[in-house]
Amino acid sequence: MKYDTIIIGGGLSGLACGISLASKGQKVMIAAAGQSSLHFNSGSFDLLGYDEQGNVIDNPLEAVKQLGPEHPYSKIGAAQLNILANQAQELLNTAGIRVKGQTGRNHFRLSPIGVAKPTWLTIENMISLETPDQFPQQEVIVANIRGFLDFPVEFLIDNLEKKGIKALLKTFTTPELEYARENPSEMRATNIAKVLDDETNIKKIADEINHISQAQDLVILPAVLGIANLSAVNLLRKYVHAQITFAATMPPSVPGVLIQTRLRQYFQSMGGMFLEQNKVVRGDFSDDKLNSVYTENLQDEPLQASDFVLATGSFFSGDLNTNYKKVFETLFDLDVDGSEDRTQWAEENIFKAQPYMKYGVRTGSDFTVRKNGKKVNNLYAAGLVLNGHNTVKSADGEGVSLLTGLQVAENILKK
Amino acid sequence: MEGIITAPKLIIDLKTTDLDMKNFTDNLYDVIVIGGGITGVGTARDCAMRGLKVLLVEKRDFTNGATGRNHGLLHSGSRYAVTDPESAKECIQENMILRKIARHCVDPTDGLFITLPEDDLNYQKKFVEACHQAGINAEIIDPEYAKQIEPAVNPDLIGAVRVPDASIDPFRLSTANIIDAKRHGCRFLTYHEVIGFLIDNGRIKGVRLRNHKTGETCEVHSKLTINAAGSWGCLIAKMAGVTVNMFPAKGSLLIFGHRVNNMVINRCRKPANADILVPDDAVCVIGTTSDRVPVETIDHLKVTPEEVNTLITEGEQMAPALASTRILRAYTGVRPLVAKDNDPSGRSISRGIVLLDHETRDGLAGFITITGGKMMTYRRMAEQATDLACKKLGISRRCETATTLLPGSEAENDHKPDPYNYTFFVQKGRHGTLTENIPHEKIEDRAMVCECEEVSVGEVKYAVDKLNTDNLAKLRRHTRMGMGTCQSELCACRAANVLCQVAKLKVEKSEQDLANFIAERWKGMYPVAWGETLKEGQFMSQIYEGLCGLNQLVPKKKEDQK
Repeated sequence: MKYDTIIIGGGLSGLACGISLASKGQKVMIAAAGQSSLHFNSGSFDLLGYDEQGNVIDNPLEAVKQLGPEHPYSKIGAAQLNILANQAQELLNTAGIRVKGQTGRNHFRLSPIGVAKPTWLTIENMISLETPDQFPQQEVIVANIRGFLDFPVEFLIDNLEKKGIKALLKTFTTPELEYARENPSEMRATNIAKVLDDETNIKKIADEINHISQAQDLVILPAVLGIANLSAVNLLRKYVHAQITFAATMPPSVPGVLIQTRLRQYFQSMGGMFLEQNKVVRGDFSDDKLNSVYTENLQDEPLQASDFVLATGSFFSGDLNTNYKKVFETLFDLDVDGSEDRTQWAEENIFKAQPYMKYGVRTGSDFTVRKNGKKVNNLYAAGLVLNGHNTVKSADGEGVSLLTGLQVAENILKK
Repeated sequence: MEGIITAPKLIIDLKTTDLDMKNFTDNLYDVIVIGGGITGVGTARDCAMRGLKVLLVEKRDFTNGATGRNHGLLHSGSRYAVTDPESAKECIQENMILRKIARHCVDPTDGLFITLPEDDLNYQKKFVEACHQAGINAEIIDPEYAKQIEPAVNPDLIGAVRVPDASIDPFRLSTANIIDAKRHGCRFLTYHEVIGFLIDNGRIKGVRLRNHKTGETCEVHSKLTINAAGSWGCLIAKMAGVTVNMFPAKGSLLIFGHRVNNMVINRCRKPANADILVPDDAVCVIGTTSDRVPVETIDHLKVTPEEVNTLITEGEQMAPALASTRILRAYTGVRPLVAKDNDPSGRSISRGIVLLDHETRDGLAGFITITGGKMMTYRRMAEQATDLACKKLGISRRCETATTLLPGSEAENDHKPDPYNYTFFVQKGRHGTLTENIPHEKIEDRAMVCECEEVSVGEVKYAVDKLNTDNLAKLRRHTRMGMGTCQSELCACRAANVLCQVAKLKVEKSEQDLANFIAERWKGMYPVAWGETLKEGQFMSQIYEGLCGLNQLVPKKKEDQK
């Protein structure tokens, strides 16, 4: 089987890259091993939230100019970054992920514990703030499902009150939700979303919410609705008298799963081949090229392509890895950046910048990878597997994933 | 079970510092016990059971020293049979007692002493003879049979001896002692440090305390003071003007991500570094290293990369599966080794119990030090210290701790899992007969806080209402919350919120507590941060800092200090 491009990794960067290529008529396959970091997504897309000193960034397009040469954004360049950012926003909207926000000016998302963090785009249903303390209403109702522990309401309300917002906690439930509670491990965001993905159940929770609120209220709900599509959210808006908005929960993230699903469907609608639960396990290299790859379930079937993209994510996704001697990339043993001295990888204080966060696959300015010091001409890296950036400290995860995915697609098409 | 007296059925209550200090300080106590480790709480219990009026003071929280930082091994004594027969005898006798009086804290796993090709098989004979002499039932078994009963053992073994080692939970054991001491009228002050002694005419008549939470100081009077502060005991002695010749020995250990072995595995050779692998609940622990450290450093010990290397290399020798098992975390404790008075260099240090009567030894009346020993022998240490205290106070009541069941152990745990209520089964394993205090009738009480360790909201309520739990670290010790494979990635936030609601804490305090708890979890992961542990660490950072912004709630000053 021969493809134009095979992408290894079905997360945000792999999908963005795949969609871009497929939309230009390429025959593309994405091989995904399992879940991606979208499963702990906040409901927003960060581009660049903090500078090296930890100060909040107002305009990411200006701030990228201050980044070191190793940062993926520096390889893209500020002007091109702006173009790609607009392209990404359009891509999300076309895929059915309605977002608010603009590239040249960060707004703020509300974290599950009520902390405001700078971000680029936020899903329309989710709450967003213009400035950290500027809230849509001075009085809000925080409405949680009874027994749902992954919405830390005590912390959320405390931090809202620190912003001068009067927040009132109310809880509600329905017989279906109570039934789900019988099994304690069912009370996770994604499971609840499945229970609620039904018009009768939505009507029931709307009734409950109407009992605890009035038309002029703003009700903040945990983001546990709309795992497959947004019809549940739209129905709820229809039936609830008060204004409603959603706040991020602890993982697993329902908005993240929706983003993943929508992008995958969009990719497939353009003829893209999405191979699920099928981990790429090895590749055949010759000279300066990768010729084919093999997956766990298709060990004897070489999957050939003109170009390949490695979009396997950071350490927690498993391809980038360490043992007690070294940092390495598991699949192809590509060249990585990372100290040879284990004691240099981490800091004892978890809230300090952890050096390992910047470790990743080493690439040229066109994002082609290196193996044994030699460039592999048709193998590119995109997303969090790239070296040179700290997603946690800079708040740049979704941006790096989307924009390097799109840039790699452009580089492949340019050839 | 004849001869065993059941503890009186009374309320459980672990309340300490929230009582008005005046209640404590107005009175004259018979005995003040210094130190909230297992020796201190055991001694306080014994004294209280003999009718003494007792106050225990601890500068931080219970089990903060060596009690909370060891293998969790219920030694059979075999390890010391050849080199330290006195300790071996103490161990086996206490082993048999603890299996009865603290059975809800003990997992009766048995142990193996294995001989590997590079070890001398002749040592096995000597070892077994020494065990028999100490009264330990050590039985040579066929290496093939050893592989059958413990599949994780190194298959290259050439010899195996089966011994009555077991696994014990130090936190539960301490809690049971505290509950029982309170039932007998003992009072406890945690976060109160002894900053001086009230000395009058060659006699200690009390202590001066500082409350670490408020900064207040006060004086408490007593007829006797018992120094049970472990490695910190030499500093306490020094404060009283006497010398205890102590050689603190640092011991580092690693926790692996699952229970690789079902029996304790030891090397059948002269005791050396990293040659004991103990199954503890759902995990297993390899240890320890042993290095003498200066007394000044014992509050700030860290696991070094060299120690980690030693522990991994030696651990793989005993159970090769460890090579491919994730290391959850590393930790280090400090043994209070004491040189006998006729051995100032500390060359022939024993693990035996050291009881010092400072009146006869140093001419300082009213002061006793109980030290040396091991967690294993805490009850006997308590007995000896209390015997001496009673003698001095003219009390003739005899010790009953060897036969009185600890709270939680009043009934046999049938160890049969109930497939319809696994959580209850797990909780019974943790709390024994005390499990009946855990609310579980209501649906909200059955909601799961920590899935790895099956900790329910009801168990959090029990820990708050009955065990004086007001922070995540205490909750962890009482319930194992956050100690499982995910190392509190998700459950910490859940638990912090539930705790905040149940214990009615100030939310800000709860947020700080969560940040401190996450920081503390990472500190233990940091020395072994590679492979799966690095992944989990990154995940933890992504969630708590990236997603939640918890770092923004950490006061800047505190962050700098760390």
